[in-house]
Amino acid sequence: MRMIDALTRSMRASHLLVALLVAASLVFAAIGAAMGETFYLRLATEALIFAGLALSVDILLGYNGLLSLGQALYFGLGAYLSALVLMWVPSFWAAFAVTAVVSAVVGLIGGFIANRVRGVYFALITFGMAQVAAKVVYNTRALGASDGLIGVPVIDINLGIISFSSASPAGFFLFVLGVIVILYGVTAYLLDTPFGRLLIALRANERRVPFLGYRTMTLRLSAYVIAAMIAALSGALYPMLRGFVSPELLFFSTSGNAVITVIVGGVGTLAGALYGSVLLTLLKSVVGSYTEHHVIVIGLLFMGAVIFLPRGLMGIVRPAVERMLTRRSKP
Amino acid sequence: MSGAIEYFQFVLAPQMLIGLVVGVAVILVALGLTIIFGLLDVINMSHGEFYALGAFIALALASIGLPFWLLLILVPLVMIPIGYVVERGLIQRVFHTSERHVTTLLLTFGLGLVMEDVFRLIWGPNPYRPETPIAGGVDVFGIFVPSYRLFLIVVGAAIISAVALIIYRTRLGAMVRAAAYDRHMAASLGVPVRHVYAGAFAFGVALAGLAGVLLAPIYSVFPTMGRDFILMAFTVVIVGGMGSIAGAVIAGLFLTQVQAIVSLYISPVWSDPIVFGIMVAMLMVRPQGLFGRLGHG
Repeated sequence: MRMIDALTRSMRASHLLVALLVAASLVFAAIGAAMGETFYLRLATEALIFAGLALSVDILLGYNGLLSLGQALYFGLGAYLSALVLMWVPSFWAAFAVTAVVSAVVGLIGGFIANRVRGVYFALITFGMAQVAAKVVYNTRALGASDGLIGVPVIDINLGIISFSSASPAGFFLFVLGVIVILYGVTAYLLDTPFGRLLIALRANERRVPFLGYRTMTLRLSAYVIAAMIAALSGALYPMLRGFVSPELLFFSTSGNAVITVIVGGVGTLAGALYGSVLLTLLKSVVGSYTEHHVIVIGLLFMGAVIFLPRGLMGIVRPAVERMLTRRSKP
Repeated sequence: MSGAIEYFQFVLAPQMLIGLVVGVAVILVALGLTIIFGLLDVINMSHGEFYALGAFIALALASIGLPFWLLLILVPLVMIPIGYVVERGLIQRVFHTSERHVTTLLLTFGLGLVMEDVFRLIWGPNPYRPETPIAGGVDVFGIFVPSYRLFLIVVGAAIISAVALIIYRTRLGAMVRAAAYDRHMAASLGVPVRHVYAGAFAFGVALAGLAGVLLAPIYSVFPTMGRDFILMAFTVVIVGGMGSIAGAVIAGLFLTQVQAIVSLYISPVWSDPIVFGIMVAMLMVRPQGLFGRLGHG
């Protein structure tokens, strides 16, 4: 049996936690479908879509140590691209393909600009880029200006074996669950390869990595482009769910929410992004039913996490799962 | 030739004057931001909410009948202990972690969210418009200027000069600059670094609060009033150089003039993207900004 190190072990713990989340989601979808429920299924679908955005923030913050305050730029890009493609050809595959290609190119350009600097300057430059994009979209008549694009058609998603409509709450929930799990899987796989290890090394000591013969710029740029693509592909799901896109998707509040999600869920755990998004959506709808000032509660929770729980929710849960895994593999 | 003069007098000059008012206002907010960054290395994401807090405190005090002139002194005095407590009670808790930049930024971001929603809880989402303390207007070289705006330019310039004098010409300012340059050396020379840090943070947010009082009669008071303004203030701080007072003043004047003049020729909605574009370009080419940091030359 091959030795497993701490990183692989914690990654396995994350996998187990995500598997748990998927199982819970399947039960939820079955109950929801049986009861003919729409509202909560749609809400859960939205939570998963924003989990994808949080995942992309976690790649940068958790593995690269770079705080992006403008990840909404790519999320919004994906949403607008997908809406435009769907209004032209109602094909899910076309929307995803266009989003993947364009977001890779835009991510490369954005990454080239943002990765010239690090630390707080990275946070501010990503923030600035997203602001420029948001203002431009907000003022462009062809993109619907402040109204956004409305009337994105309901599409049939054809997966070869089965085909279903994006208007079916349970069907589309399961589809989004599948997409997010694939995005999680790809990310987790990449971060467990030597490339992922190099990113962690880069975070620990950026000056030493070039002495080992690696280009830091290439590494940072790759991580940035992967994060951009994941944010954009998650965003591409949004118009399929809601039937419209609005410039709010590009605003700072969207980027900020993704950062809150990652911090509350647990930085650098990937699973934390998914759990954080579910937790925050749940909290918003529960607290929101009592008072319209749910931001106070979420803001205080967030501040508490920053001060007392730097590893977030996963900081409590994951070590326990890791211990469980080691106990099982020992004898 | 006379056409050019008329164009200047009736088109360009009024626009530049409006730009100057905005410029002074932005510099007041940016000064606190840049001092806090220069000394503490903290990006205060809640700075816009402290600006709003100043305006709301003024609103509350004015409702019990206090005159505007008294508020100009009272509000900063109320803000200083608030800022001091926030620095000691919140920021110091994460100040010594390895990724201080990120954690303090996140903490102040959370604080800003909470503050904004508390304002909404207490005062509701609708804007209040305080009465303009000085009514009427004056004629400056053939341009009509509301008196209050002229007053704002004069008072703003006086405050900016006073801040620069305190930082660069007094013993207190020398301690601040020493702590910004090398906190350990400053501490061993007897500078009470902990109090200087908390004091500088309090001073910075008090400046933001003062700006809130001064600008309330022009821009109204509402919970999200800090948001739009803080973007411009951040841009000014980045372009001028984070932690540079001279940089904040020059970049503040420059960027607001660009915004004012550009909106004469193209739709004003495009002036924001242009200003942010300048910021992004600056971060790419010269991330440290036009000028060096506080205490570093």
